[in-house]
Amino acid sequence: MGKVKIKRKSTLIDMTAMSDVTVLLLTFFMLTSTFLQKEPTQVETPSSVQEQKVSTSNVVNVLVSPTGEVFLSVAGEVDPDASANYAKEQDPTLTAAELRKEKGKWASDSVRREVILQAVADYNETAKNPVQLTTDEVAALAKIGTFGVPFADLKKYLELNDTQRDKVYTDFFKLSPEEREAYNKNRENVRVGIPIDLDHNKRNEFQIWMRAIKKVAQSKYPNLNEALTKGEGIAVKADRRTDFEKMHVVLDNLQTLRMTRFTLMTALKSQEQ
Amino acid sequence: MAQIEQSDKGGKKKKGAQKKMAIHVDFTPMVDMNMLLITFFMLCTTMLKSQTLKIALPTNEKVTNEQKNQAGESQAMTLLLDVKRDANGQPVKDSFGNHTTVIYYYEGALKTDDNGNPYPEQLRKEEFLGNENNVQRGIRKILHDKNRKIIDEVNKLKDKWRNKEFSANEEENQRLYEEAASKVRNDADLKFPIVMIKATPEATWESVIGALDEMSINEISHYQLENLNNQERKMLGLPIEEEPAAGEPAPSGN
Repeated sequence: MGKVKIKRKSTLIDMTAMSDVTVLLLTFFMLTSTFLQKEPTQVETPSSVQEQKVSTSNVVNVLVSPTGEVFLSVAGEVDPDASANYAKEQDPTLTAAELRKEKGKWASDSVRREVILQAVADYNETAKNPVQLTTDEVAALAKIGTFGVPFADLKKYLELNDTQRDKVYTDFFKLSPEEREAYNKNRENVRVGIPIDLDHNKRNEFQIWMRAIKKVAQSKYPNLNEALTKGEGIAVKADRRTDFEKMHVVLDNLQTLRMTRFTLMTALKSQEQ
Repeated sequence: MAQIEQSDKGGKKKKGAQKKMAIHVDFTPMVDMNMLLITFFMLCTTMLKSQTLKIALPTNEKVTNEQKNQAGESQAMTLLLDVKRDANGQPVKDSFGNHTTVIYYYEGALKTDDNGNPYPEQLRKEEFLGNENNVQRGIRKILHDKNRKIIDEVNKLKDKWRNKEFSANEEENQRLYEEAASKVRNDADLKFPIVMIKATPEATWESVIGALDEMSINEISHYQLENLNNQERKMLGLPIEEEPAAGEPAPSGN
């Protein structure tokens, strides 16, 4: 009888196929991902059975923290072709080169820049201490997604670098509600939240911003303007535990501005819940 | 990592013939890295966008005072959103630090005694509850019963919409359905309820959204967010405001 020979087999597994799959998956996630927007504070939205999705383009986000501080962010058109298409509709004789110039004109950056210029100009009309922003400062502010600082502190805020700016918010939200109030009373600090208290004699800063957005949209960004009129362009996002007292102020402000149509951000739930 | 294996299959080799080399590249570290990256992207992306609840203040289908009067007491309903309070009227927090929502409601106008004090027993207490086995509970049941006729009609339309009876074209089908549904909701013959939603300052945003959500669940299109009046404040044990806010709608832009 001959001995049974056991053949030695290599334990190497060919990982090439696996690698192919993972690279494909990676590409998918990289291309489809939209990063979570950095927000000054995390809020947990209440839930509703509504299935309408919030739009990511042509929208003004009003973020309300649980203690009632208000933050704003403006998003322009995501599709760079939208402005070129519009220009072509208006004037079919435009050449390709001219159309290329039109491309991307409705991007968030440019909308924000216009809004900032308009809002600062409006603020300076009545303010005792006018704010003068340099072109660089306007560009820096336009890069920031969500922000909430009074006009008077804008310059101080923009002097900080990115990490310090975030730190202003994170430090603020570590404070207790009473401490937050005290912090915002001290003019030395970079105060947090856009002032929103209703004052019947004067427009508050929130109203100045919203009006500036509306004005800019009316003159230059028809898509944003349409969204604002229809109500899809304003999204109010607030924590589910926020007191109605705080929200009431925000709603009242929007009503005063005659922006009576807007959307409220919610999470999804089923009717069973 | 990458190794070159010589295949020598024993036996005789032709002289001068090229040696056959098999190249193995070990992809394991590559896969490891890819997996890490995938995990990162998966965690950082927002696949689910948040949902929105569309509202108009005051509602697009405005409730005018005339309508209120016309509607009569049987159709008007007031929801008062409040939080659980202790004996001193201070809001109570549960172990998670959250307020518990309490919802009171009354139908028609408040009845008062000779001194102008409302009878407390007309205020009834309810809760926000989800469906259980497709049966409505809590405030949803109250609203559902109140608006039953319209809900039935709208459900009929919904069935038609599902079967594409309005039009074979999807968009057209949707549009016609919405038109018909809106007509039903505003059909005065069906006696639609008119709901006033009023929240105390301590009420949570969640409860307000919840109440607005119940309106759309129950196909109620006539509702309004309003301020509390003094009689309601009295019944809820809230401090009375100096300026009488009675019957005055939430400050509006016009």
